[in-house]
Amino acid sequence: MHIPSIEVHKAATLQEASALLGRFSPDVRLLAGGTDVLVDLKTARFSVGHLVALGGIKKLRGVTEERDGLRIGALTTITELDRSPLVAGAYAALRDATSRMATPQVRNAATVGGNVAGAVPCADLPPILIAMNATALLSSDKGERTVALEDLVVGPRTTVLRDNELLAAVNVPRPPERFGAAYARFGLREANAIAVAGVAVALALNDDRTVRSARIALCAVAPAPKFVKEATRLLVGRVLDERACAQAAALAMEAAEPISDLRGSAEYRRELVGTLTRRALAAAHQRIGR
Amino acid sequence: MFTARTFTINGQQYDVAIEDGETLLDVLRDRLHLTGTKKGCDSGDCGACTVLIDGEPLNSCLLLASTVEDRSITTIEGLARNGELTPLQKSFVAEGGLQCGYCTPGMVLSATALLERNPDPSTDEIKDALAGNLCRCTGYTGILRAVERCKNYLEGGQCAKPRGVEPSGVGASIPRIDAADKVTGRALYTADISLPYMVHGKILGSPIAHGLVKRIDVSKAKALPGVLAVLTGADVTDTKHGVSPARYDEDVLAKDKVRHIGDPVAAVAAVDEKTAERALKLIEVEYERLPVLTDAMEAIKEGAPLIHEKYKSNICTTVDFNFGDVETAFKESHYVREETFVGNNVFQSPLEPHASISTWSHDGNLTLYTSTQVPPYVQYMMAHLLHIPLGKIRVIRPAVGGGFGTKAATTPLDICSALLSRACGRPVKMVYSREEMFQYGRGRHKQHMKIKLGVDREGKIKAVKSEVHLDGGAYTSFGVATAYYAGSMIPTLYKIPNYRYDGYRVMTNKPACGAMRGHGVPQPRFAFECLLSMAADDLGIDPIEIRRRNAMTPNTMTVNDLDIGSCEFSATLDAVAGKSAWKDKYGKLPKGKGIGIGCGGFVSGAGYCIYRGQVQLSHEKGREPFQKKSIFPHANAVVRVTEDGEAAVLMIGAAEIGQGSDTVLVQMCAQSLGIPASRMRMQSADSEISPLDLGAYSSRVTFMAGHAVSRAGAMVLEKMKPYAAALLGCAASEVEARDGTVFVRGDASRSVLWAEVARKCFNADGPLVGTGWYKPPEGLGGDYKGATVGTSPAYSFGSSVCEVSVDLETGKVKIDKFTDYHDCGTPINPQGVHGQVEGAIVMGAGETVMEGVAFGDDGQLLNPNLHGYLIMTIKDAPEIFSGVVDSYEPRGPFGAKEIGEGSTLPVLGAVAHAIANATGVWIKDLPITPEKIVNAIRQKKAADAARRERRDEPVTAK
Repeated sequence: MHIPSIEVHKAATLQEASALLGRFSPDVRLLAGGTDVLVDLKTARFSVGHLVALGGIKKLRGVTEERDGLRIGALTTITELDRSPLVAGAYAALRDATSRMATPQVRNAATVGGNVAGAVPCADLPPILIAMNATALLSSDKGERTVALEDLVVGPRTTVLRDNELLAAVNVPRPPERFGAAYARFGLREANAIAVAGVAVALALNDDRTVRSARIALCAVAPAPKFVKEATRLLVGRVLDERACAQAAALAMEAAEPISDLRGSAEYRRELVGTLTRRALAAAHQRIGR
Repeated sequence: MFTARTFTINGQQYDVAIEDGETLLDVLRDRLHLTGTKKGCDSGDCGACTVLIDGEPLNSCLLLASTVEDRSITTIEGLARNGELTPLQKSFVAEGGLQCGYCTPGMVLSATALLERNPDPSTDEIKDALAGNLCRCTGYTGILRAVERCKNYLEGGQCAKPRGVEPSGVGASIPRIDAADKVTGRALYTADISLPYMVHGKILGSPIAHGLVKRIDVSKAKALPGVLAVLTGADVTDTKHGVSPARYDEDVLAKDKVRHIGDPVAAVAAVDEKTAERALKLIEVEYERLPVLTDAMEAIKEGAPLIHEKYKSNICTTVDFNFGDVETAFKESHYVREETFVGNNVFQSPLEPHASISTWSHDGNLTLYTSTQVPPYVQYMMAHLLHIPLGKIRVIRPAVGGGFGTKAATTPLDICSALLSRACGRPVKMVYSREEMFQYGRGRHKQHMKIKLGVDREGKIKAVKSEVHLDGGAYTSFGVATAYYAGSMIPTLYKIPNYRYDGYRVMTNKPACGAMRGHGVPQPRFAFECLLSMAADDLGIDPIEIRRRNAMTPNTMTVNDLDIGSCEFSATLDAVAGKSAWKDKYGKLPKGKGIGIGCGGFVSGAGYCIYRGQVQLSHEKGREPFQKKSIFPHANAVVRVTEDGEAAVLMIGAAEIGQGSDTVLVQMCAQSLGIPASRMRMQSADSEISPLDLGAYSSRVTFMAGHAVSRAGAMVLEKMKPYAAALLGCAASEVEARDGTVFVRGDASRSVLWAEVARKCFNADGPLVGTGWYKPPEGLGGDYKGATVGTSPAYSFGSSVCEVSVDLETGKVKIDKFTDYHDCGTPINPQGVHGQVEGAIVMGAGETVMEGVAFGDDGQLLNPNLHGYLIMTIKDAPEIFSGVVDSYEPRGPFGAKEIGEGSTLPVLGAVAHAIANATGVWIKDLPITPEKIVNAIRQKKAADAARRERRDEPVTAK
């Protein structure tokens, strides 16, 4: 369980990190919190000769309030996000994910960037970020680009990031009036349990309490975080009654592409998606208040 | 490539050259020898390696040391200042916040960080903060109490106040004598020890579950710089090893065949562990694959491939118990029900991985440091394999981080470290990774149980019949005993007039199973308790009432000739019923809420030892004919009073593995000496200092070693009495001693200091020494085959009520509460007793709802880690009330019986019953996962609907 010989390069700036990535690709990985990377190296899931350590790039760290929303630096730890006073009001739904994932020790090390760009299918942050319409700011020595979060991850541990490109920040747009979001997850333990399934919901209502916008995203039931586009079409313009919720749950179940593994069969996961969708919808709806 | 780095650890600067890929954990432990930080899983799942980085807890196994140079690092060694424990550490010590101590440094650091941030946390906040620190011993109850009460210690409140002279003898809840060492990181576990010039070994395990070894080429491994020795099956003895003498079937290293994933094939010693790991990858092995058997019920089929060719079938043990006439009794029964249950392959998962260090003297004596529960069995097996006398082997058992049965046999690490050390002439350390622990196994047998119960109109048991197939994995290990235990212990709890048990222990291509807490009994007990509760519901009898009607009574010989002495089983039933408000809840809870009862008990030490002959070299000697008595004493103690009379050193080889045996033995010895426990020193770790005690298995230590130490203490006091009598002017027979004072019985004013009398003894007679030993009574057990298994000088009894909430949509179970009462005789240390019960409840509840090693069809382990194999976190653990009923066992030391293993037995049935009560469905295969619950509820709904339809049919037809 020792890490084979490896060279760690400490990048001081994004540009430097990007250059190092380009220089050593493909024999290189980024090192942020390290909670996944070190396990992968020890268990030889992959083996590389170089790590680019990002810890020194201070501007990648922290949560800031921007004109159009929240900017979460990629190196912000899960704990920092969880405890940030800016994660308040409608943003607080992020805590449904940050407060429950892994363990306190892992949350103190693991970063938002790692959880998102690590592209592990059971990562908890991407679904709620997708539901909240977040975007990813990608950076390389060639410049920056922005992609919708649902377009970032394309498969297990696979993203649209180019060889010399890094996730710099996640931007969560300022929620509109009468907005509520929630993430419901199911794990086999009360703590430190990988999600068997998870459903994130973000809703905004019109003055007449009909649905103005609705976004549903799923965790751990597809090769990548699953944005359930059809649910938006289904719900917009309707009152969120029991029937609407049941239909949305049915759509989510249909959209899921679960596998059977140790934690649950595909059928059970699909069933969980239905239950969790109803629960997340109810929780998000309740958070909107009167 | 090495780089010089500077670290700030506990306020001190350390300069050290390291490689870029080294984790902070390895740098702390291997380079700086700060071994208080523990390696439990090396994957961020267990929290044993927790350190504070700038005040926040992180897993040091997931940090590259090269990235934390500019951070402030706090390890467990840095908390106590100038030897003064922090208030939190004091609270852990006093409140029973630790047992084996392996999770303790991480736990204390996580709690320290919480209290820094939030000095007055709520219970939920504490649980959230400690959710990343797994504990396998305490059930988290003592830990939670310690953190909750820390404030009191901080403010010098009630808990922290000295209460004058504390009672410390028998019956007092004194803190564990090793607690301060364990909360400060000073306690040394095997992997923490470094010997001069020591090197490191690793074992190459088989990557396939069944196959022939066709060719091994170690030349590349041998050529790797830093490699000192490579061994394969060709280089080692042909002598086989194991546990049951009738079935030694394990090769040190594979001779011709591998039988499970991880089966040892080769062993390497190298200058460091990393090099040894690299060398393993360079060993070329060619295998011829054979068909893999992972299911016991497949392995018993005609024509199944044989896992051991020398046996006729894959059944390695057949048990046939037949007492009374079950068939007639079933015919005469008012109610008969038969059900099939399936257990799970539970792995003990102690937090401390198995570890061994071997070193040889120039004249051929072996010293073996090993994380074991059974030092004398290791010594015996090493003598057997190395073909040298026992007397040339010294076994040192450092602090052990939990065992629960997986450390109850000689491991490949013990053997290979000795062989490698002999080959390279240097001390060799070997430590299992978490994955290797699972591959070594020795967990609980998965049992397939068909069980039938017949009762009369009042619910009194007429007959019980069971057929059990135990899935034993690739080797026998403890399996012979396991198969017997699975049958012999069922009749100890209830009066069963007619009893039949057919047991079959089956070989499969999985890691060998062994003796896990409650050895063989928890799954049949679970099955029986479920069946009894089903019967009660069917007959309209309250489930506790049906147990009362059948409960064992004191001084009863069971149908299978087990001699029950003291028995307060009925009292435990009454106590749990009252304390849990059973009558107000059973059948009256809302849907999704459930309450259930389970009972169980165990032996207070096995009546017979695993090897029956003399303690001597055995491999060339035939097996001796069995006699119904112990040939040699099972527990032996020496106590020596220091020359100034101020302290007494207790020497006994009883294995402290976290259960607290050192502490209760010191208490009993101190009591019989007449001095406070604080004046005792314990030497239990070294076979060269301490006489033989068989070890920590079959829940035997308090009972058997307790007798030995109290007799040793009593002998010292007898020697002192004439001198005391002379000083006090009374007859020797009138002399008594208590708390360091010797006095005339009935007149405490005529007294003299104990130390003064002891000095007089030494001055006159030389060393003041007492010895004591214990043999189980002669003649235990009946005269049928297997009658010895289940015999014991005394039996424990207990009842547990479990309360659960079940999410009926997802199937998720939350175990809310446990109420437990035990008859463990008279407790020696009540806090220790409750600690065992609390730990057993959380372990037992976990194995009922979430634990189980999973295998692929090819025999691969699917979850050999602590994120796939789930054990309960502090947030899963229920609220627990643990009580003991008044009881006194005349055969026990100071009236005591066992608690460690028996406390597991009621748990599984209680949980299963509570879930059935909450959901309306019985899940009969373990673990009772959410998915199984949801599926069963759905099937029941469908069946109910079909039944309604059938009932309706005739009506519509008309």
